[in-house]
Formats: sequence, C-alpha cells, structure tokens
Amino acid sequence: METLAAGTARRDASPVPSDKGLAKAAEDAVVLRVSDVHKAFGDLKVLNGISFDLRRGDVMSVIGASGSGKSTLLRCINQLDPPTAGEIYLNGVPFGFRVDASGKRTPDSLSNINRLRQDVGMVFQQFNLWPHMSVLRNITEAPVRVRKMAKAEARELAEQLLAKVNLLDKRDEYPARLSGGQQQRVAIARALAMNPKVMMFDEATSSLDPELTGEVLDVMRGLGEEGMTMLVVTHEMGFAREASNRVMFIHEGRVEEDGPPEQVFDNPKSERCRAFLSKSYR
Amino acid sequence: MESFKEAVDISLFWEYRSLLLGGLAFNFYTWISALVLVHVMGFSMCMMRLSRVGACRAVGTAYAELFRNTPEYILLTWVHFVLPLLLSVLLQTRLNFPPFLSAVLALGLAYSGYMVETYRSGIQAVPKGHIEAGRALGMSSIDITFRIVLPQAIRNVLPEMLNQMVSLFKATTLVSLIAVPDLLYNVVIVTQEEMRPLPLYTWAAIVYCVIIFTASTLVRWLTERWRSRGWA
Ligand SMILES: Nc1ncnc2c1ncn2[C@@H]1O[C@H](COP(=O)(O)OP(=O)(O)O)[C@@H](O)[C@H]1O
Ligand SMILES: [Mg+2]
Repeated sequence: METLAAGTARRDASPVPSDKGLAKAAEDAVVLRVSDVHKAFGDLKVLNGISFDLRRGDVMSVIGASGSGKSTLLRCINQLDPPTAGEIYLNGVPFGFRVDASGKRTPDSLSNINRLRQDVGMVFQQFNLWPHMSVLRNITEAPVRVRKMAKAEARELAEQLLAKVNLLDKRDEYPARLSGGQQQRVAIARALAMNPKVMMFDEATSSLDPELTGEVLDVMRGLGEEGMTMLVVTHEMGFAREASNRVMFIHEGRVEEDGPPEQVFDNPKSERCRAFLSKSYR
Repeated sequence: MESFKEAVDISLFWEYRSLLLGGLAFNFYTWISALVLVHVMGFSMCMMRLSRVGACRAVGTAYAELFRNTPEYILLTWVHFVLPLLLSVLLQTRLNFPPFLSAVLALGLAYSGYMVETYRSGIQAVPKGHIEAGRALGMSSIDITFRIVLPQAIRNVLPEMLNQMVSLFKATTLVSLIAVPDLLYNVVIVTQEEMRPLPLYTWAAIVYCVIIFTASTLVRWLTERWRSRGWA
C-alpha cells in the first residue's frame, strides 16, 4: 500500500501549467525526455515516433506484445542502438547527438555518450554478468575503471549494495555458482554502483524460474520506493499495477496508452491494449 | 645390432653436451621470440579482421590466409634469402638478415596466421550481452576489449593456443636450414668432426621428443583441469 501512496505523491507533483515557476521546477525534474524517437533496422521500422518524459521518482512500466519494440526503445535511450530520428535528453542534456553552430545535428562522440551512459543503469533479461570476475569485481569494475573510484572505496560501495540486495555472503563467488535470481540481483547492484539517475530494466525477470522472480521484483519495488527513477519493461502485470505510477503500452513502435496504472489497466482507451491485457491475464 | 648399440650410445652426445645443449637454447630463444611476434601480430590482425571498416577486414583476412597457407619451410627460406634482396633493391642498400632474425620473423609470421583465427574464434564465442553490459555502464572500448572480451576469449581457446605453441616449438627445429646454431645444426657440425652420425642424430631426436612430449602432456593435463572447472 505504501507503494501506491508514493505513486500518488509523485503524481501530485505534476506541473500546474498556469504557474510559470512551478512549471519551470517540473521541467527541471524531467530526468529523461524521449522525443519523437524513430528506429529502423534497414527496412524494418521498429519504433515509429515515441515520446514521453520521465520525472524524478517516476516508475514507468512499459508493456506490449513481444516484438512491439520495447527492448529497442531501451537500447535507443542508452545508445546501444542509436535512434534513426528523434531526440533523447538526460537531465536536459542531449544524449547521442549534438547541435553544431549552424544548427545541424550530428552524432556525438563516443566519449560523450559514455559519460551520459554512466547515469543510465541497465538491467538485461540475460543478466550478462562477467563470468571471469567474482561478484564483487563485477560490481567494482565500472566504478573503478569508468568513474576512477579508489579500489577500497569501490569495494565498500559494492558491499553496501550487495547487502541491499541480500547477497553480501556471495561477494567472493563467481556468477556461474549463483541462481538466476541471485545473478540478476548482482546485475542490479552492478548498475546501481554507478549511482545512475535512471534505471532501466528489460524484462529483468523473464528468464527466471517463477519461484525466483519474487526476490528480484522485491528489490525493484524497493528501489522505486526509495525514489529511484525507473523505466521497467515487464510482463509482470502485478508489478506494473502496484509498483509503478505510470504504465505505457506500446504497439508496433507507437505509444498507445500512457497513464496511471488504474487508467491503463481498468479503463484503456485503446482497443489493442484491451486485447493485450485480456490475453496477459488469461 | 651393432649399429643399434651405436645409435643409443650416449657417450659422444655427452662429450659435446655443452655445445649441443647450447644449441638447444637457440631453439628456445627462437621459440620465445617468435611467440611474442605470434601473439602481437595474431591479436592485432585479428582486431583488423573483426573491424567494422571493410578495408581493415580485408587486410586482416588476407594476412591470415597468406600465412596459414604458406608452408613454414618455404616462408623460412623466402624470408631469409628473398626478402633481404627485395628490401635491398627497395632501399638501395645492401641488406642481409642474420639467420636468427629470419627464423624469428618467418616462424612468427607463419604461426601468427593460425593465431588470428584462434583469437577470432575465442572472441566470437564471447556473448554479445557481456559487451553490451560494459557499454551500458559507459566503459571504453579499450577496457571492454582488454578486461571483458580478451580474458574470456583466451579462456575459450586456451588449449588450442597452447597446442599451437607446442607446434611452434616443433617448427623451431627447421631453423638449422638457414644456419641458426640450434641443437640440430650443432649435431651436423659435430658429425662432420667425428664421423659418427648415429648416436648424435638419435639423441637429438630423443631430446626433442622428450621436450615436446612433456609439453603436450602438460597442455592436456591443464586442459582437463580447466574443463573440470568449467573453463575452456
Ligand atoms: N539489431 C536488430 N536488427 C534487426 N532487427 C531487429 C534488431 N533488434 C530488434 N529487431 C527487430 O525489432 C523488432 C522489435 O524488437 P524488440 O525491441 O526486441 O521487441 P520487444 O522487446 O518488444 O519484444 C523485432 O521485430 C525484432 O526482430
Ligand atoms: Mg524485448
């Protein structure tokens, strides 16, 4: 119930258009802006103009049929697959492109992209832990190599994060010796170690045995309650309804629904969303 | 029977042990130096072969094919006798390669051709997701290559790599042909002095065989251990 209350509080902070000061403050709180993003792979158009703002503390679940472009959207945001058109802004800073003096847009340098990537955590369906490194080193690697954090400090941070995901006792294990649920929690800790401004989850529980999804969803829920801004691609409708304050339904690379969970789940405007939900609950 | 006893008589070999084992040291020098070249060229040409730039890819592929398909012996004589001539003409100065340099160059290049392919199969077996996890964290390409991809790639192909290194050692016995003073070369010299080829050639064969057998067995034993730990 606390989650719902937190969600409500976040929604109440939405802008009052008539008050310029407040609108400005709300504008400041936009952590991630996705503006008319298109993505094509050759002739295959996967994203066809996706726009939304994510404000600080928003937990947005992204739902949609397989192949609708959910993963592609996340990969466009952190430039693993750069958009073919449209813009991404992170805290108002262009992500993946820059505008030169004549107003022409060009792709940004890899070093700038890498700087912005540090602020966007990503958790993959397949965990993608590095098998040749211990759990602890999986977590300290990026802070040490990318953020240039001292090793001792990184180690301390990693231990804090492992405690948070309930895996402190596994710090010296190798990933192959952990269950899927444990690996995914390490992957979450690894992303959190960069102190990201947004966390993105791409079906973080889809490749887990049903009895292991709970431990991962609990960690995600906890993060949302702490105020982390999150973009969560998921098939867990329970999570989408209870732990997020916004739900977006994507169909063929277009946003068909975007609103509070009650609205999207109980009163969807889109016929396709209705059909998708009735299938998902079957 | 007489000649058999003559063949296994170690006394002559023992008499010349310091000269002969000094020659064996040259097999090891050649091996180690060529190994450096094998890995430096093998790895960098593999990077070319896997590059996104078409021209680089072509160079990497051509390199690997050229050296994989040229017999070591041909390469050895070509590098020692033809390459200096070509360079002499090109640079307008008289040029000669010391035998040791030719040996290291030729064997290093020959085996680096195989090593390009070995690195490649190791690298391609690293799941793309592991690389993407690094990119998503903002890691540089260099860090991703050297800290995520290569350690895993090498682990994937370690047995194969070690076997190639053993083959390279076998190939170092060719270098006497261009007068690198290795074990076999010294055997030839001593034979000319003493006119007793049987024991010298036999013991040279035994020495090489023991070294290579030991190395292969070690590789097999290590591979078993790695397999049982889920590596390689
Ligand atoms: N790298 C790629 N190259 C070509 N097609 C791709 C690539 N990535 C995704 N696609 C295609 O884009 C579509 C959407 O994929 P995806 O974003 O993974 O969907 P979802 O995550 O919603 O299931 C699919 O048809 C998929 O085949
Ligand atoms: Mg997907």
